[in-house]
Amino acid sequence: QVSELVQFLLVKDQKKIPIKRAEILKSVIRDYKEASSEILNKAGRTLQEVFGLQLVEIDTKRHAYILINNLPHPEGNYLCKDKDKEKMGLLLVILSFIFMKGNSVKDSALWEFLCLLRVYPGKQHRVFGDVRKLVTEEFARQKYLEITPIPLTDPPEFKYQWGPRAEKETSKRDVLNFVAKMQGKNPTFWASQYSEAEANA
Amino acid sequence: ENRESVLNSKSNKLTEALEEANRLFNGVSRAREAALDAQFLVIATNIGKEKASELHSEMSAFDSAAFAEDLLTFMGINRTEEEEETDDSEDVPGGFLPTDAWQTMGEEATKYFRRAPTFHYMMGSFKSEPPVPKQRIERRKKASRGKAERAMPAQLKKMELSHQEATEKEVERILRILQTHFENDPDTPISFFDFVIDPNSFARTVENMFHVSFLIRDGLAKIKLDEDELPVIEPMKPIGRGEEDNRAAARNQVIISLDQKEWK
Repeated sequence: QVSELVQFLLVKDQKKIPIKRAEILKSVIRDYKEASSEILNKAGRTLQEVFGLQLVEIDTKRHAYILINNLPHPEGNYLCKDKDKEKMGLLLVILSFIFMKGNSVKDSALWEFLCLLRVYPGKQHRVFGDVRKLVTEEFARQKYLEITPIPLTDPPEFKYQWGPRAEKETSKRDVLNFVAKMQGKNPTFWASQYSEAEANA
Repeated sequence: ENRESVLNSKSNKLTEALEEANRLFNGVSRAREAALDAQFLVIATNIGKEKASELHSEMSAFDSAAFAEDLLTFMGINRTEEEEETDDSEDVPGGFLPTDAWQTMGEEATKYFRRAPTFHYMMGSFKSEPPVPKQRIERRKKASRGKAERAMPAQLKKMELSHQEATEKEVERILRILQTHFENDPDTPISFFDFVIDPNSFARTVENMFHVSFLIRDGLAKIKLDEDELPVIEPMKPIGRGEEDNRAAARNQVIISLDQKEWK
């Protein structure tokens, strides 16, 4: 049972969409619902000890899980496909912008910023294709971004924040370090972001 | 409307609007008007929130334009050459972004994420349904008595047959397994427990015992105790009429109790 669940989780994680507990119960656990928490715990231990992956519950209400990497960063990540790497690049840029701007930005502000990087919402991108779809759908579904509508705005506007997966897979400190590296400055240059990042570390 | 002008940090329009709303509310007597007032308050609050955030009171000033320039630099922009594709009239700042620009960014980015590598089977993927436990009948050596066959029942598929017919089919199937084994190895009866226990499922074990009891009842198999006082099972050969009375007389009732702990 446990190994079945481990396999199930590994395969389901391919798309990076959070795995719902209901799916797990239906496909793997079936007859043993009472033991489900124990089976889940054991699977989590196996994932950690054998694969170095952490099973994290990101939605305690609706019970959804993701897998994150618990091993220290290897030099040169050869386990990542090129297409995924490029998406990670875009994502990091977006997350940095959101954090440095106070953890929440309006969609217009984000796209204005991305335009500076030659990434346009209305235009097919050489690398990312339909960028708007990538950002508003894929990144949102994977829980890297949390996109919520701003009430009573016409035409409807949205605010962008970090999603729960982003909170788990990276940190404000890491992202601030990235910004500092890009700009050739010390992270303490941005005093309030720095203290917020340290408080969250 | 006029959102931008209201947002302007120098304007007092928001305050004026709120004051006017207050005045108007005194004259409100109908629910619809009160609802409009509430709606207005929601909009006003949002605008207020935006104005507050625009003051950057919490965060140290962050120059996003400079950040963008630094990112482009990192991605390898060549500022001396003109961009080759002149598609639209948009203001593209001078400089040529190489095709691997985002690869470069991505390489750096992966260092900041603790992303689980995507899992792929080396030999290609299987169907996504969990594997059906197959029925395995191994040949049993005469020498080793301990190792008996374990017939693992196949997963009970949903059949349109009624419950009773399903039971009969199961019983028949189990009889056949017993007989097949016996053809291969006629002199050694199987240990009863080895025959019925399914190591993976207590429920199936109980089911197996249930089906076997039918075989016994119908005289198609018999259970006896061996030298170690452990029950063993063997099929009965179909005999002529004359001996039936003998068989009937030899039947006994046995109750076997087995709970989950023992089963484990």
